[in-house]
Amino acid sequence: MKFLQHELDYRRATQGQLTRREALRRMGAGMGSIGLASMFGNAQASAIVSPLGPKQPHFPAKAKRIIQLFMPGGPSQVDTFDYKPMIAKHAGERPDSVNRKSLRNTKLGLMPSPFGFQQYGKCGKWVSDIFPETAQCVDDICFVHSMHTDIPEHAGGILMTNVGALQPNRPSMGSWLVYGLGAETENLPGFVAMSPRAQPRGKLANWGNAFLPGAYAGSYVNIHDMTPDAVIRDLKNTSLSRKDQRKQADLLAQLNQMHLKRLEKDQDLEASIQAMEMAFRMQFSVPEVFDVQKESQATRDLYGDSEFGKGCLIARRLIEEGVRVVQLSHSIDGYDIAWDTGHNDIVGGHARLAKACDQAIAGLLQDLKGRGLLEDTLVLWGGEFGRAPTSEGAKGRDHDHYGYTVWMAGGGVKPGFSYGATDEFGLSAVEDRVHVHDLHATVLHLMGLDHEKLTYRYSGRDYRLTDVHGRVVKEILA
Amino acid sequence: MPSLKPALTIVAVMLMVGVASGDIAAEGGFFESKVRPLLAERCYQCHSEKAAEDGKLKGGLRVDSLAGLMKGGDSGPSIVTGDPEKSRLITAIGYLDEDMAMPPKGKLADDEIAILTEWVRGGAHWPGADKSKLAALTESEEPYDWAKFRREHWSFQPVAKPALPNVQDDSWSRGDLDRFVLAKLEGEALSPNSQASKRVLIRRAYLDVIGLPPGAKEVQEFLHDESSDAFAKIVDSLLNSEHYGERWARHWMDVARYSDESLPNAWRYRDWLVQALNADIPYDAFVTRQIVGDLLEEAPDPVATGFFVVGPTYGNDGGDPEAVAVAEAETLSDRVDTFSRAFLGLTVACARCHDHKFDPVTIKDYYALAGIFRNSGLGEHPVDPKEKVEAYHEAQKAIGAYRNKINEWLKEQGKRLNQKANQVPKHLDEAGKAALAEMRAEEKRMKDSLPPKFAFAHVLAESGSNDMHVALRGDLRKKGALVPRRFLQVLSDEELKAYAKEGSGRQDLAQSVTDPSNPLTARVIVNRVWQWHFGKALVRTPSNFGVLGEKPTHPKLLDWLAADFMKHGWSLKRLHRQILLSSTWQMSSAFDDENFAKDGDNRLLWRMNPRKLEAEAWRDTVLAVTGELDRKVGGKPENEILESTRRTLYATVSRNGDRRVSDEFLSLFDFPAPQFTSAERSVSTVPQQYLFMMNSPFMKARSETLGHGLASQTVAVEERIGDVYERLYSRPAEPGEVELGKRWVGKDTDSPETWSRYAQVLLSAHELFQNQ
Repeated sequence: MKFLQHELDYRRATQGQLTRREALRRMGAGMGSIGLASMFGNAQASAIVSPLGPKQPHFPAKAKRIIQLFMPGGPSQVDTFDYKPMIAKHAGERPDSVNRKSLRNTKLGLMPSPFGFQQYGKCGKWVSDIFPETAQCVDDICFVHSMHTDIPEHAGGILMTNVGALQPNRPSMGSWLVYGLGAETENLPGFVAMSPRAQPRGKLANWGNAFLPGAYAGSYVNIHDMTPDAVIRDLKNTSLSRKDQRKQADLLAQLNQMHLKRLEKDQDLEASIQAMEMAFRMQFSVPEVFDVQKESQATRDLYGDSEFGKGCLIARRLIEEGVRVVQLSHSIDGYDIAWDTGHNDIVGGHARLAKACDQAIAGLLQDLKGRGLLEDTLVLWGGEFGRAPTSEGAKGRDHDHYGYTVWMAGGGVKPGFSYGATDEFGLSAVEDRVHVHDLHATVLHLMGLDHEKLTYRYSGRDYRLTDVHGRVVKEILA
Repeated sequence: MPSLKPALTIVAVMLMVGVASGDIAAEGGFFESKVRPLLAERCYQCHSEKAAEDGKLKGGLRVDSLAGLMKGGDSGPSIVTGDPEKSRLITAIGYLDEDMAMPPKGKLADDEIAILTEWVRGGAHWPGADKSKLAALTESEEPYDWAKFRREHWSFQPVAKPALPNVQDDSWSRGDLDRFVLAKLEGEALSPNSQASKRVLIRRAYLDVIGLPPGAKEVQEFLHDESSDAFAKIVDSLLNSEHYGERWARHWMDVARYSDESLPNAWRYRDWLVQALNADIPYDAFVTRQIVGDLLEEAPDPVATGFFVVGPTYGNDGGDPEAVAVAEAETLSDRVDTFSRAFLGLTVACARCHDHKFDPVTIKDYYALAGIFRNSGLGEHPVDPKEKVEAYHEAQKAIGAYRNKINEWLKEQGKRLNQKANQVPKHLDEAGKAALAEMRAEEKRMKDSLPPKFAFAHVLAESGSNDMHVALRGDLRKKGALVPRRFLQVLSDEELKAYAKEGSGRQDLAQSVTDPSNPLTARVIVNRVWQWHFGKALVRTPSNFGVLGEKPTHPKLLDWLAADFMKHGWSLKRLHRQILLSSTWQMSSAFDDENFAKDGDNRLLWRMNPRKLEAEAWRDTVLAVTGELDRKVGGKPENEILESTRRTLYATVSRNGDRRVSDEFLSLFDFPAPQFTSAERSVSTVPQQYLFMMNSPFMKARSETLGHGLASQTVAVEERIGDVYERLYSRPAEPGEVELGKRWVGKDTDSPETWSRYAQVLLSAHELFQNQ
């Protein structure tokens, strides 16, 4: 891990007046337990395992970390990445194949996409005009057009997408990943969830640990009104200088060690001494990671001047520091299911939402690629379901859980590739169908985990993200 | 199953494509040339012996033998020979029911459907298969060898009071329970730790029984009490303290997945628990009241049924039929799961979709219990005096009557004016308008003077008496057999008796649970109590006594405790006393190399487990040692407990731990999110806990209270340090600790600032977290 700026500044400022502890701590940065072991003169300390320490995957994998760009509300596939020219040819009709029940059971006919589509890249992918920037990256993207899920209702659908169940009582995918892989940072949580303004519907459940140990919960940050000093509760001391805080921390460590000596051995106390040191460091490393002003103007320009852009840039900074999972949810106007504006207004709603994230997505993909990070970082884009090709009224579309599109890029998926298909009008997945459980199995696989082996024993049963389902979609693996 | 309306179509297709008629279809040649290849090609991938071997079998169905088809899969027999309309196979391939449309990748061609339809109609001839034997297959088979389970699995065996074991060193045991522990230790050549010091003992007892540390004065008194029953006196006074109920109610609230979410009066159930425990009502009554308190004839106690109501009641936000069904199914699952794990230590909810894979619990058992809860709705039980409740209802009624009177008057005027009632006010003359205004004003006066709604508790209320259908694969929309409400088969001896037809069945259910011959109820609770005293239980999966749960480390001790508990009137306080006065509980928690090497997990109980305090006990301790704790018992919850000085028990508990700053604090310190019943807290040590110590307003305020007090003392610094160590840790400061403190304070001996920073360190020390 590189040294963060705060470390360098502090080193300069305090040159020549290092305490033994500070010196040890710095030597041991990134290998805290070794530093502790020498400090205690006690071999047992090195055996302390933090629940978030890095763990071996089940098998070697391309993807070491994941950024999930979550699009709650249900983006319409036929207005974004699943080009269906047949809709226009049969506009207003309601052929048998699209005559399926939707949430509101609307009976109207096919509604052509109001947006134009162009072909992009070497792969010649058709992309809607509302995603012109992301379209430039299609040769790095692997589209899955044959997604389907259980119900066409947001709360349940969102939970299915993020926790693999219809009710909020299972660990989130991010928690499972951190449980399985740990993190590669000692200064930050292993799993960070972010969104501007509104948390996606279901809130904490989307990054919650449920019955997994608390260390695997995602830490949520609202990036709309975020100040880097306050992204984690109680991150900053409002009254003491760093020097005074260090004095307190040193006294606490001394008292705890005297207590440890009395007890001879106490694993929990040993872990506690470590945790205290990490907390001390987090106070300074966390604000720095979340501060996008530390990036060059050119880099910031690449991501664009949007809240989602800020989120994407922070996401990159987080994974660079060793965070395992970043979940960034899209939201504008404080709406917790932003893409649901599609009911009344595909033209206005979807165009605006796409505009608010398009450049940021493209910027993220290009930046990751430029830094050589895309090969071992998995980017996953998608919502909880799609929208029907038929009309719900004048300009909108109802929910569609029979078929929708998600895409992935980087870490181990085939670039410039499209998998599966919906019917000729785009309502139902008909070819190479992929259920959300299959997507989860595939993501875990890409990260080096076998979804059938990543289990947690709880109340007499082995739980897994995919419950009793899931098929790894081998066809999309690079 | 939907009717088979396209039967005609099939015949038509059959004629068109020239498929055999029924007669021909009954012949072996037709089977071998048309039927078997079709099944092999389109169905075997998921429904054959090979699929089963590969773990790919779907829906429990095999179609590679006639037996497989007739026995069927999860939803029942797949074919009824000779009757395609009643055969699920034909419904499925006809895509007549979207939920069971097969094969999933795409419908068979019409002629293929016709082939299978005619084959079934012709009697499903399968060369070599003996139909008379196969007929038996469709009748229900016993899924488990009940007698074997009852005989061989430890927790289903009757509780017998075992004889006391012989031990070599009889001087160690204070009570009978010690002999069981010692016998085990001697058997493994381990020796028990010596007794903890008096200082450790009194602090341990306080934290354990009331969740608060002793004051320095109590410690001194105990140190000076040389009488032989000095500790017994401490134990008795603690068990008689009203704070005992607070501490132990919280333990039970973990099991009861207690939450205030959407339940503004859930706290009444919490207060009920505190009072019930303080009154030491016998555990069998404690259970009975929580299941059926509303229906008890002699002493009804409806508030107790809050046990079920404080759990999650799931909803949906779209009205999609699947979402509605899932929400109800999840809610019922919560009730069955909490009921069975809390009282019986069984994971019955695992049988919601299929018979339990490991324990003898059938899907029918699950729906027999779920049916009871489906007939028990949510209700409001008034807790105010009858007069107040009646006054409220009367006033409500009067308002309604007056509103009717106005409407009648409007109708009359309407007739007179030839207008619709809602148009009348516009057409009234001045006198009429004045009369109406007067009446409206009177209505408003009545509403304004309506007494506030009486106080009430959330309770269970009888809502029906219907049996429930098995929900195939857990989906309430797919009905299987109707199951009478009854108890679990494995706990019902040979005969399976349905509960009374009238009412929900909760009365019978409470009887089944508290019947002294029930092998689980007493074992489960004494095991939980043991865990709450020792940190680890005798059965280390306290809510799972099934096949996948752990076996007891001390099976005889567990049985002896359970039998003794029932024999002595199910008294929890008596059980506490028995445990607290044992040599086992009074052992030191000191580390020992040799014992640790042999039994690092302390399964044999060679020492007291070193424990970390729960969020509640730790926060309460911090407030107690700074002298700020508000010890008032009971009442409405505090929305932000961190801004209050009340005990942590009184924090508003959200369902998911995501509503308030205080929720974050609680979950950071391992308070369980009450989505499910929780048998044991996890213990985590994460950096964010220290961010709380270093930087939170709560800790800053506590440090200042403690620090300012120290700064204002006039005695020497050493003495102040000695005093604060006694207050915080119930022990004197060591010379090294005094030295560090003196160095910290330096010359600023009266500086509140300096002392506050010092106090913050002492309050953040790991020792304050420990119950040694």
